[in-house]
Amino acid sequence: MKRLASLVRVGLRSNFGLSLLRYRIFQQKKDLWLVPVMGLAVFGVGSLLYGYLSLIKGFYGILKAMGQEQALPGFVLLMGQFLILVFGLYYVISAFYFSRDLEMLIPLPLKPGEVLLSKFTVILVNEYLTMAPLVLPMLITFGALSKAGWGYWVNGLAVYLLLPVIPLCLVTALTIGLMRAVNLSRKKDVLIIVGSLVLIVLGFGFQVMVSRSMGADPDPQALAKMFASPDSILNRVGRNFPPSIWAAKALAGGFGRSGLLNLALLAAVSAAGFGAILVLARKLFYGGLVGVGEISGRKKPLTAREMSQRISSGRRPVKAVFLREWRVMNRTPIFLINGILTAFIIPLIFVIMATMGDRGGDGAFMLRALTSAGSPTTSILTAAAFMMVCGCLNGTSSSTFSREGKLFWMSRVIPVSPREQVRAKFYHSYLVTLLGIATSLAVLLIGLKLKPLHCLAGLGLALVGAVGLTAVGMTIDLARPLLEWTNPQKAIKQNLNVVFGMLADMGLLALVGYLLFRLSAAGVRPAGLVLIALAALAVLSGLGWRLLMGLAERRYQEIEV
Amino acid sequence: MIEISNVSKSYNKGKVKAVDDLSLVVKPGEIFGFLGPNGAGKTTTIKMIVGLLKPDSGKIAVNGLDTQTDALRCKALTTYVPDYPAVYERLTGLEYLNFIGDVYGVPKSDRLARIEKWLEVFELGGAVSNPIQSYSHGMKQKIVLMAALLPAPEVMVMDEPMVGLDPRAAFQLKELMREHCDQGQTLFFSTHIMEVAEKLCDRIGIINKGRLVACGTMAELKQMDRAETSLEDIFLELTEK
Repeated sequence: MKRLASLVRVGLRSNFGLSLLRYRIFQQKKDLWLVPVMGLAVFGVGSLLYGYLSLIKGFYGILKAMGQEQALPGFVLLMGQFLILVFGLYYVISAFYFSRDLEMLIPLPLKPGEVLLSKFTVILVNEYLTMAPLVLPMLITFGALSKAGWGYWVNGLAVYLLLPVIPLCLVTALTIGLMRAVNLSRKKDVLIIVGSLVLIVLGFGFQVMVSRSMGADPDPQALAKMFASPDSILNRVGRNFPPSIWAAKALAGGFGRSGLLNLALLAAVSAAGFGAILVLARKLFYGGLVGVGEISGRKKPLTAREMSQRISSGRRPVKAVFLREWRVMNRTPIFLINGILTAFIIPLIFVIMATMGDRGGDGAFMLRALTSAGSPTTSILTAAAFMMVCGCLNGTSSSTFSREGKLFWMSRVIPVSPREQVRAKFYHSYLVTLLGIATSLAVLLIGLKLKPLHCLAGLGLALVGAVGLTAVGMTIDLARPLLEWTNPQKAIKQNLNVVFGMLADMGLLALVGYLLFRLSAAGVRPAGLVLIALAALAVLSGLGWRLLMGLAERRYQEIEV
Repeated sequence: MIEISNVSKSYNKGKVKAVDDLSLVVKPGEIFGFLGPNGAGKTTTIKMIVGLLKPDSGKIAVNGLDTQTDALRCKALTTYVPDYPAVYERLTGLEYLNFIGDVYGVPKSDRLARIEKWLEVFELGGAVSNPIQSYSHGMKQKIVLMAALLPAPEVMVMDEPMVGLDPRAAFQLKELMREHCDQGQTLFFSTHIMEVAEKLCDRIGIINKGRLVACGTMAELKQMDRAETSLEDIFLELTEK
């Protein structure tokens, strides 16, 4: 037990970079700027939280009037568990199989179960933090509004602690099983990507299921049935994933019979899931793990002709850096899944949701409504915004320097100017953006049947705007690249620069949108609006490019590796 | 040629002085061995020469060019081998060598001839088209060394280049280092292997706590204290203080 506790402690410190951060802040006095930034972040989150709390309060009022208030925790807990399914997948794959500390842990006299348990605990802590902004405000607000007694608060704590266990066990079991199967094959990387895609599809299917169970228009009889008992909406919401119903009923029931029974059920299934993971760990974990880093290579020398064909010639630094970026990204599964595949997947998810029989997701509904609006200007601008969002929301540009990690030393010593290197990286990021734009263009043309002329005009705007958004994402990463990582997941999925990049892109698009809205309200003609949008995006791109290039020379000198 | 003039570098806002007023010159055609205990300032000095770290004060010049103000031209003359073989593991050995050839502008004919030669010397012919990820530690070290040799640089800077090499490869490397400098080029390297330093280097510098405590040919170092007979004894004596 002591050994496990020690393992968990080291895992947490390494996962959150606590030791490194403490050293940098207190010893090197380097990241002191992080302290006010964290304060600002708390302030920013505070304002978002206020909005979320108002929303919860509003929903509580509506549901309370119908006598269905239990549906609120049921829905939020279900969403929390869905979040865990999606994020858990990435956490599990990277922590169990791509983390470099495994090379150090495997030779230690530790049982596979202990290694897995320590990693599972670290992921669990990550999940508590991931779902905190979504679930905690609801738990507290709901308790306060319903004037809940002790039973609610005690059960609430237990529910919060148990909530991620079942979905995490599901993801872990699936991942361990998959990796064991994958490890039998030679093409591990390809299978990891395919496996991840299967899991993404499963997660997406789950969301569709929830959306359908929520959104289908009920007939009058079903509607009447829905209000027959206080938990009928709750049961409807959670029917595809009963643990969320048990959790909500445990909350509502407090120390009463129903509350304790549902809590016991949730705890028992969580414990059973946990036990199953331990058994799996013993049987499969090391089997799937040992050899993950192995790559079998052929030992056949190249012939003189082959060698001559494969040797490139001359000085072509921009092309060389571009090719390096392209190859490293495409051959690192975590980068590929999060970067290039996301550029394809986001537009596809939109089209599936938009073309589903019922209303689909809110975003998809809005997109369908806006692109099919009578006004060509609205269609063009919406199409452009959709293409830019789909092209830029993959984190490729805002992790371009971070992805180099400790190998950034190479970029510092090669005789290629920072401007040329940044230019090559820009071409790479822009190419990934173009993939997203091309997929979203296909979605608009085929899925939403947008007029080709409108698509073309939207494409023009998107191509111009994407230059600026790519440059802004790269600038954010260049300002503070995350180079200290041992797990590629951290460079892209757990990199704040990616979040900041997305927020900045969304903010800039919102700004341009607001400008156009005001101009439209002031009576500017539709054709004029498109031209103004083009000009605004061109200015944004010009400024973004200048900012990036200006920063390149300075930052490449400053970043010490 | 490398000229280091009054260079200082400290960490933690000046609390830890890694290199303290270091001055030395490495002449063309010279193999210069840089010795010192762990944490003495060897890697910091090397990183400042290749431009990975910026000196707090002082100046470093490569073939007369200031590494700070003429950084790009200095980099075109210099190659660097770090103290661990950190390379793009997802590239094949040949893709990595091509990358280096492309950024240093090595013509195709030279590139082909050199790569074929080093592949034979380091016995990497069978692995060069495989991903570097599949290489052993020693093989990675060999591909990094090949990449550093490929541009035939005026100045080579190596941080403990022998680590991880088998005896045959270490012997080949020493031969290559000598050959490189016999053509008038400069080599600056750090090592913990006294025997290598003693036999291979034209001159040796010993650094301790950031300060250069001795510098000269083997004969000059021995003259410093007649009682000392080997480089190891001299090293132990000088770094004990």
